[in-house]
Amino acid sequence: MAQAGKGKLNYRCPSCFMRDLDIDMFYDSDKGEYYCIRCQYTGTEEDVLAKNQLARFRYRDMMKRFSMEDFETFDK
Amino acid sequence: MSQFVVNIIHRPEMVPEYAEKVTGHGKAEDLGRKALLTESLDIFKTQQQLAHENGLKTTIQMTYASLFNDEAVELAKEDHAKYGDEIALSLLGLPCKEFREKYQTKDFCIWMFSMEDKKAIVTDVFEKFHERFGFYPESTGSYYMDADLINFIKEKYPSVKCAVATCWEEGPKAYHTCNNSWYTFMDGGPWAPWIPSKVNTHAPAANEEEDSGIVAIPHLSRDLIACYDGNGSNFGTHPQNVLRGMIYDTETWEYPYLYNLIDQYRYQEKFNNGYAYNMMFVGPGWMNKMGRWESPYELLKKSYSDGCAYYGKLKKEGKLLDLTMSEFADFYRAKKHYTEPECALWRDILYGSDKQLFWYCDPNMRACVNMDQGGAIVDLRPYAAKLYWPVGIGTPHVTDASYPFLIQEKYRAGYFTHYAGEGTIRSAKLCHNGEEVDLALCRTKAHFSQEGSDRVLTLDPVEVVFSDLTVKLQTVITFREGDSSIRIDRHILEMSDPEAEVDINEYMVGCYGTTEYAEDMTSLTLSAVKGEGAVSLPYEYKCREVSIPGADRVSCTLPPIQTKVSLLGEGPEKAGYFKEGYAFSPMFTLGYTGKLCEKEVFTTWLKLERAN
Repeated sequence: MAQAGKGKLNYRCPSCFMRDLDIDMFYDSDKGEYYCIRCQYTGTEEDVLAKNQLARFRYRDMMKRFSMEDFETFDK
Repeated sequence: MSQFVVNIIHRPEMVPEYAEKVTGHGKAEDLGRKALLTESLDIFKTQQQLAHENGLKTTIQMTYASLFNDEAVELAKEDHAKYGDEIALSLLGLPCKEFREKYQTKDFCIWMFSMEDKKAIVTDVFEKFHERFGFYPESTGSYYMDADLINFIKEKYPSVKCAVATCWEEGPKAYHTCNNSWYTFMDGGPWAPWIPSKVNTHAPAANEEEDSGIVAIPHLSRDLIACYDGNGSNFGTHPQNVLRGMIYDTETWEYPYLYNLIDQYRYQEKFNNGYAYNMMFVGPGWMNKMGRWESPYELLKKSYSDGCAYYGKLKKEGKLLDLTMSEFADFYRAKKHYTEPECALWRDILYGSDKQLFWYCDPNMRACVNMDQGGAIVDLRPYAAKLYWPVGIGTPHVTDASYPFLIQEKYRAGYFTHYAGEGTIRSAKLCHNGEEVDLALCRTKAHFSQEGSDRVLTLDPVEVVFSDLTVKLQTVITFREGDSSIRIDRHILEMSDPEAEVDINEYMVGCYGTTEYAEDMTSLTLSAVKGEGAVSLPYEYKCREVSIPGADRVSCTLPPIQTKVSLLGEGPEKAGYFKEGYAFSPMFTLGYTGKLCEKEVFTTWLKLERAN
């Protein structure tokens, strides 16, 4: 079994990202999966992207565009 | 004309911090690798092009490595001549073949070197710059610049008048985010430009005597809620930081958050006599051709292009001044006076929480008021002490450049603790017939006003509901310019029983430190003063308490940070008290109790002083 390497785009561990930890994953080409050396997460590229999407749950205003009038206006 | 200023800074970093790690994976380290040098310069050229296309001036911060590269030097000269860009000198980007051979170290953060090395490196870099350009720079910077370093530079190269001198709240949180491998500990500083004192960079100068001679700017303009809460490197005016935070739509590649962040900074003009500031400084490694943070190069480039386009649009609309760093230094000194505070009333623009904070910074303190906790003070840095805190090899603080806190709700708990002990916070409790309510649980909003030399924060009234009484209370917090105290007035506006009486307990739980972990408290002294009498208690973790009716003040002296913090109170039946902590709760508490009826007010002042 050959050593692991960085996959394309340096995917970070989505599980660690959700606890404010940026850690690049490594790619196991034999298994076709990314794995984290910090926690027990493993997953395919598809799963990584899905979990990254999940991590955005906390950004409820991610796509909201505030106007200058909104910065002291609440409960809208 | 708007006085919203942006500094856009580019550095031709021949060996970008991230690029070498990323592109070099699977290869042995080679700082002189031709592909890396070519790519780095290409990214710099792209960044310059994007700024100029949008009509924006830049500050080109030459790195040590780039001074050995003829093409980089020529590019800087050409853009200076054509676009008016300032040619400056960065103390970032030291790593290169020449530096490694000369200094025999892999250290690259200027503030972490010994003072002897700092002097040698600064002299080397500045003289090399002079050799290439025929003049000395007016601007410089790094992620952090300690006071001794700034003083040395200013003395030897008096032309320098502006420097990038800190990254706001880049401390233990950034360290953790980087898998405990990124040693940039510099919490506790200003988030917006300031004039550093000669003794401590983070603490603004109070007068000409304390003036270090430069105007400092922060590295990036950061989200004053999100960065305090979490990883600083996700929430700043650095388009790729926003991608790193995954704050974009993966289908459309849109990121309104970046523009909201810029606009909320523009909004701060309202609290700062018509002036606000932004800084964008993206190193080449963040626009790596290999992609980064799950983002392909195309998205990395698009985000930078969009960032420049937005600033360019604001400029065209007359809503932005694009200045070089040295131009900004002149602007700032003409605009601000030493004791003028920086204020920020900041709302959550990302998580949909409606949370609101107020940040205050002047030569005596940096404070954060949290309206989601009833106006509790949740972070407090006692700049009044002007603490000398040398940094780097050979000092007691090799990497820790943070200004110590008295209160830090994230590192030393705030209102909430697990079953036992107390967390650091400045709040108050109302008590009635055996029931107790902490105002930290009364969520509210604040309104800013400037009344003479006072910056006043008036909070919307809150209701405190007891089983047989409802109390409507309003908090007003006043920061007086040039004064080192915070005044808090609690007004009882109404009570469901107008004849009722409530007890008030104004308190501050404090400690000291720069990290999450407790420091040795045994050198602290607690005291209470009434008239000519005083009671003092050395801190011995014995959980002792002292209360004195009618006390003039209660205090704690903290020799390790040369700070004395006091609470003074005024109101019906006032009594001052202090509490010593214990091993499981290594804190101290200063407080005042009193009794209040309808329409009455209880006033306290939290005062900061240098201990000796």
